[in-house]
Amino acid sequence: MSLRQTPGRKGSAAPAETAPFATVTDAGGQRLLAAVNPAAAAAGLAPDMPLADALSFVPALATAAAEPAKDAAALRRLAEWCGRYSPWTAPDATDGIKIEITGCAHLWGGEEPLAADLIARLTRQGIAARIAIAESLGAAWACARFTEPGARMLILPSAATRIALAPLPVAALRLDPATAQGLRRVGLKRIGDLYAMPRDALARRFGVAVAQRLDQALGDLPEPLSPLGETPARRVRLSFAEPIADPADLALATERLADDLATRLAREGAGARRLALDFHRVEGRVERIALGTARPSRDPHHLAALLKERLDTIDPGLGVEDMILAVFAIDPLRPEQLGFAGASPSAGSTGGGGVATLLDRLGNRFGLAAVSRLEARESHLPERASIKVSVSEPAASPVSRRDQGWRGNDGAKPPRPIRLFEPPEPIEAAWLLPDDPPFRFTWRRRAHRVRCADGPERIAAEWWRPDGSAVTPGKGLPHAHVEGANVEGANVEGANAIRDYYRVEDDEGRRFWLFRAGLPDDGQPLRWFVHGVFA
Amino acid sequence: MSHDLLPMLREQVRRIEHPTATTHGVVPLGVAAIDRALPGGGLARGALHEIFGTAGDEEDGALAAAFAAGMLARLAAPADTIVLWCLARPDLYGPGLAAHGLDPARLVLVRAPRDAEILWAMEEGLRSRGVAAVVGEVGTLPDVASRRLQLAAERFGVTALLLRRWFNGGQAARERNLPNAAATRWRIATLPSRPIPIPPFPSRSMGFPMPPLRHPRASEGRGVAGTAAVALGSRWRAVEDGLVSQVEPGVGHPHWRVELLRCRGGAAGCWEVEVRGGKVREGKVADAADIVSLAATMADRSQAPVGSNVFASDTGSERIRRTG
Repeated sequence: MSLRQTPGRKGSAAPAETAPFATVTDAGGQRLLAAVNPAAAAAGLAPDMPLADALSFVPALATAAAEPAKDAAALRRLAEWCGRYSPWTAPDATDGIKIEITGCAHLWGGEEPLAADLIARLTRQGIAARIAIAESLGAAWACARFTEPGARMLILPSAATRIALAPLPVAALRLDPATAQGLRRVGLKRIGDLYAMPRDALARRFGVAVAQRLDQALGDLPEPLSPLGETPARRVRLSFAEPIADPADLALATERLADDLATRLAREGAGARRLALDFHRVEGRVERIALGTARPSRDPHHLAALLKERLDTIDPGLGVEDMILAVFAIDPLRPEQLGFAGASPSAGSTGGGGVATLLDRLGNRFGLAAVSRLEARESHLPERASIKVSVSEPAASPVSRRDQGWRGNDGAKPPRPIRLFEPPEPIEAAWLLPDDPPFRFTWRRRAHRVRCADGPERIAAEWWRPDGSAVTPGKGLPHAHVEGANVEGANVEGANAIRDYYRVEDDEGRRFWLFRAGLPDDGQPLRWFVHGVFA
Repeated sequence: MSHDLLPMLREQVRRIEHPTATTHGVVPLGVAAIDRALPGGGLARGALHEIFGTAGDEEDGALAAAFAAGMLARLAAPADTIVLWCLARPDLYGPGLAAHGLDPARLVLVRAPRDAEILWAMEEGLRSRGVAAVVGEVGTLPDVASRRLQLAAERFGVTALLLRRWFNGGQAARERNLPNAAATRWRIATLPSRPIPIPPFPSRSMGFPMPPLRHPRASEGRGVAGTAAVALGSRWRAVEDGLVSQVEPGVGHPHWRVELLRCRGGAAGCWEVEVRGGKVREGKVADAADIVSLAATMADRSQAPVGSNVFASDTGSERIRRTG
């Protein structure tokens, strides 16, 4: 599909469609036309023409500055909107959109109705477009841009690609201008001229690009389209005869889509992990609700509730004509007994529907990483012994949990604080003898006098871990992979060194877990940190 | 017969006076003196309870978290229910919670950046099935928000604990005395711990590892938590000049002043309690024990004197004595 956009359409000050109008860009001190409207084109103006020349042809030419960034954004939005025809769409350069419609055309009753529908909708949005449907991306590209200007849509039967491309100029092969110029100079003006040429000779003289582009255009070389967004795993679509904008209608449609999707996922024994609901607005924009679930789900009520919660963020504009619910990630989910009709719909066996719904709601508001469980780990490093695992990760099996049970302050092991600071916070401490706890320390600008202390408990880095080395200087932290544990800068060496922990009580009775980083006799200055507080 | 009748009548009168206070039942905290001060003999389920610390702990929230963990441990709930803990600074430490009796595996932490979002998450939690209790750590608490939480807790029968955690003393001073709709309001303060008496042990200063010391009275159930560190290091105590020196004994059991500042349908009170470590048996957190192990010396200042000076509790090891 090739777009010849009519510039100035958006601005309220845009002149009438019939007056010559062009956008102008600055190119190295020279002002060139960037795009022209049909009236200007009819007067003989073309893009890349110097503005001075253009004004001598059409003194009444109205101009505006070109805004390539906004144009690119608009093109991208339009490409997203084209997602109603196929999930594989992408903007092409500055004035085209690529759509892979293999396997999609039958939904529209064939390629021709699809193209007609697309043309009609684009025309309604004020966009002049030419559409070519061909066997290969290259052929469609060439036909959309280099065939006779009269026809707005061109559908190339698969057998006719070779014949149809033959009369087109070599530039239609998506070659860079220098290569096209070189081909023309040796007399190879049309694509048909290249058919008979030996490929190796072409490659020697003009590089592999020519042969490759030719093969791609003829469909001999596959050319996958890299779509704009992620390609969904499953997709259900709902189109409306009349655009809808009423929130109640949108909610109803959302429920319907969730139902359709759930039916489909149930058939496949899968559950959705990541979904997006796209609202295709009449004026060619797409609004999207994206969400994730903590556990695979195919409960239509649950999915619909999650989506409906965010419906108020959607601006339906002039109306929504299509809604597409796409699933980007699915996980296997065994069939389960859902409640009887009328009973609570989420009485599943997996952890209770109420909790699953709650976690998804929280996860979609704060991010799934923000909703976590504490899991015990077999580690001597305190920050590793209890880690936060997102609820979207599968829970540890009960067997492994028994091995890594939580230990309390049962007297067999030294007590642990109730709050642990990540990273440990440096303190200023004063102590007497090398192995003594501090008798005074200042933390967060508050001085504490130590009344009594227990310790030290020596904890060294876990050398048997690849990332747990105590001796490699400047290495990442041993616990760098733990969520939320990012000790930075000055603390790095401290956290890697051998630590001697003391439990101290100040004269108010508050208890702190202090540690000294480093050993008294290795020459390095000793540093003290508070790692946690006891109750 | 007559001694059954009196509590029953009392309960009826109380219900008439405070129709919603204990609709969902109560959870005894296990410390008899405190339970006696609470209407119905325990902490009301399906209500909002507010807990905060004092001084520096208003920022760290360690005492409030520990007290809440003790309460949650006693909220016997079906095994598959969760405890939702909403917080802004995710510094809760699993082993520490386990030590106060709460099984961390039941926790779901929700990290939200702002107080308003924490309050929203708490309310969502209260409305959800499968949630045993909801905990939230907030700084500012609008009165309306507290009322919403209290109503939601009452309606769905889920207990909500509100831990106040302020960023600095200024915020604490502003917020501390504002009214809210919580059914009870607790202030926990640390007190200097009392030394655990340990008899002289001749080999203590020798340079080889020693076997863990057993407290001579451990067999009486007095717990050995405090002695553990001896096996690993030494115990230190400040001497007269303010320096810490290596003398017996070290850090004692946590010693708190628990103040019940406000209690709907009950009177305020103030107790001194000592916390004995939670017991862990076979890798599992013993459900019951352990706010109970609050005990030892209790000074009951605002209430009528505790009649007997030895109070037999379910652990059988607590002594309550009136002090000055």
